[in-house]
Amino acid sequence: MFLSSLLKDARYFQIIFQCIFLSYGIFYLGWNAEWWLYATYLSVSVVTQLFFEFLQSRLKNKQWPNTIKIKNSIPSAIISSMGLCLLLKTNTFSIAALAAFISIASKFIIRINGKHIFNPSALAITITAFLMQKAWISPGQWGSGTVILFSVLCLGFIITTKVQKLDVSLAFLFSFGGLLFIRQIIYLGWPMDYFVQSISTGSLLLFSFFMITDPKTTPNHPVARVIWCIGIAAVSFYLTAFKFMNGAPILVLVCSQPVVPLLDKLFKARSFQWQPPAVLTENDKQFLNTAYNNLSL
Amino acid sequence: MKHKLLIIGACIAISPILFSFCGFYVSKADGTLKNKTSQVILVRDGNKTIITMYNDFKGDTKDFAMVVPVPVVLHKEDVHVVDPSIFQRLNDYSAPRLVEYWDQNPCNQYLEDQAEYKSAPRALNEVAVSGYGNAQKKDLGVKIEAKYLVGEYDILILSAKESGGLKEWLTTNGYKIPEGAEEVLDPYIKSNLKFFVVKVNEKEKKKLNNNFLSPIQISFNSPKFMLPIRLGMANADGDQDLVVYAFTRKGRIECTNYRNVNIPTGNNVPLFVQKNFGTFYGNLFTHQWDKEDKAVSFLEYAWDVSPQNYYHCDPCIATAPSEQDLVQSGVWWLGGKDWSDYSDVDNTEPDNGSKNVHFTRLHFRYNRNSFAQDLMFQVTPNTETFQARYVITHPATGDFTCDAGKKYLQDLKKRRKNELHELMALTGTNLNNWQEDATAKNDEETVAAAQYATLIPVVNNETGGNRPTGLLVFSALILGSAGFLKWKGFV
Repeated sequence: MFLSSLLKDARYFQIIFQCIFLSYGIFYLGWNAEWWLYATYLSVSVVTQLFFEFLQSRLKNKQWPNTIKIKNSIPSAIISSMGLCLLLKTNTFSIAALAAFISIASKFIIRINGKHIFNPSALAITITAFLMQKAWISPGQWGSGTVILFSVLCLGFIITTKVQKLDVSLAFLFSFGGLLFIRQIIYLGWPMDYFVQSISTGSLLLFSFFMITDPKTTPNHPVARVIWCIGIAAVSFYLTAFKFMNGAPILVLVCSQPVVPLLDKLFKARSFQWQPPAVLTENDKQFLNTAYNNLSL
Repeated sequence: MKHKLLIIGACIAISPILFSFCGFYVSKADGTLKNKTSQVILVRDGNKTIITMYNDFKGDTKDFAMVVPVPVVLHKEDVHVVDPSIFQRLNDYSAPRLVEYWDQNPCNQYLEDQAEYKSAPRALNEVAVSGYGNAQKKDLGVKIEAKYLVGEYDILILSAKESGGLKEWLTTNGYKIPEGAEEVLDPYIKSNLKFFVVKVNEKEKKKLNNNFLSPIQISFNSPKFMLPIRLGMANADGDQDLVVYAFTRKGRIECTNYRNVNIPTGNNVPLFVQKNFGTFYGNLFTHQWDKEDKAVSFLEYAWDVSPQNYYHCDPCIATAPSEQDLVQSGVWWLGGKDWSDYSDVDNTEPDNGSKNVHFTRLHFRYNRNSFAQDLMFQVTPNTETFQARYVITHPATGDFTCDAGKKYLQDLKKRRKNELHELMALTGTNLNNWQEDATAKNDEETVAAAQYATLIPVVNNETGGNRPTGLLVFSALILGSAGFLKWKGFV
């Protein structure tokens, strides 16, 4: 029953899906598999995570961290590093290591009210790619194949539902897509396939289902979450359509995250815990079943 | 041998640093990739872009006209004409290459030798409409923002309020607008693009006394880093090839709205490919393009070609573009700074003083179905080098009666089979198509047991088609994890 208890934690699902995306990229889309890069992201993330866990326990409680706590923290480190593997590219070892270090260290150092402020991978990407310009993201790397569109949607659906933040993804996607639609089709008058190509890029879908949804860095209250997402979508749209910026949503997400504690103050709600429900309810099972059936189509 | 000696001589003259390459000789293989190939040089740093468009218009120059959407109004000093030979040099230098190696006879010692082949240059054609006529006075919402003469061209910069007016203006002024162009004119106008309209001034043309039309170079500042291909699709039937030579200070450029794919490189191919390298690469490109679902940007070459960096390829197939060539291509940061001139003191362009030049060659084959959007680019800090390079290996000659010699023959046969497999996988062609070339090669063969012509039927029998291993692994992964979840009772 060890495995089944593992799988009740949504993070394991997320790791599995990230692995699927990475293998899709490498084996199907024929990316140059940069194994050294993936290894660097993964190992530096895990080591940093362990280091800070130990440091925190020693400084705060004057004791060694217990194994449960460590076991509980490793998946988060893996998720952050997989996020980097999927999005951030660089030629330099030191930049890769720095990105992985930033992503994990920021979780421990930049905190308000017991919640970390920045999405780890998004912050690492913002610093290394946008500020230092030593790394880059390739928005075109997924192509615009419809297959990826559907699989990302279905897989992302399961993830987000398990952590109850589908509202975040949908609010972002609909407002961003809606604004693009108004601009490209209604205002500029491009044919429909122009818009479809903009909206079906894998990078955008990955962002909306796997990055913006991080429950630790989104507002706790549902209304606040939706407002926050629409704000991100609007600013990203402006930067994409009028300033021709690549990967604008990631930068905007990072810049908008300091607002989250404020929104949490204004909208009181119970903070999110990575604790899964003890058992899957009948409803959950039914939902996952439908999602799975859609997936296997 | 005369040929070989000549090239070696040239090699020494170019640069002593290249001396180690002088074991190779360089010659040209005939064959074209495709007739309808456009060539564009893109130079980008910060927000400044310089675009140079090659012009291979055939026919009466009176009929020549070109319309290019540009993000800002261009002034006279932003437009130049350059020497067309620059395109030839850039193409020669960055084209896919064939590398030749010679086996050593294990029973004997021979000197190694190598050579290089390259595909021949091709033609270009940007967005071209034809016609020439008289203007009519009527308010069509079209404004002539600027008008001047550069080189042999009359140039107009137009801005328009709506596509109907622009279309009518162009038509009444003798520019024939191709069908389907309207669909894109409107979005361009609403995106606030201006239209750069070019036609040949016959008087100036006569004065210059050239038998070609000069490439036009335009420069402007805009955060938009793109190439408008949609207007070009309007008058092009079928697929159109576009080769982009890009120069930046930081690293490679890549396409942001289409997938970037490296063309296969480093493959060992049969010896007879040498004879028709152009055809081989043409087949290879077409096959890879189909395989990658068409909407892709192929990388063919990427290297740091900064003048202070001597090694620009390994091995090189043509003389490296000189600093002069680069400056002519528009690499403005290499141009000598005139310290007595302070007119650019307020220039906001970032100039970190770096003299680095990174050369990227991208190859597109576009059509209306696969390319819904114009090409958008970004400059990345990626400095990894790349070249499309195929390897042929000549067998050793002489007596193979020693033990090592016998083993060599066995290995040779195996290797050649692999080369044939590789040829099929790369080009997607049936080996029988190559039978003629393979048979022709037989005459030169000393090793009867390992002739390509005799190996072709053997390889044909062995093949069970290409194995899409990537897809298999991927599906296995998905099915596996789905099955696992099902087994664990989660779904």
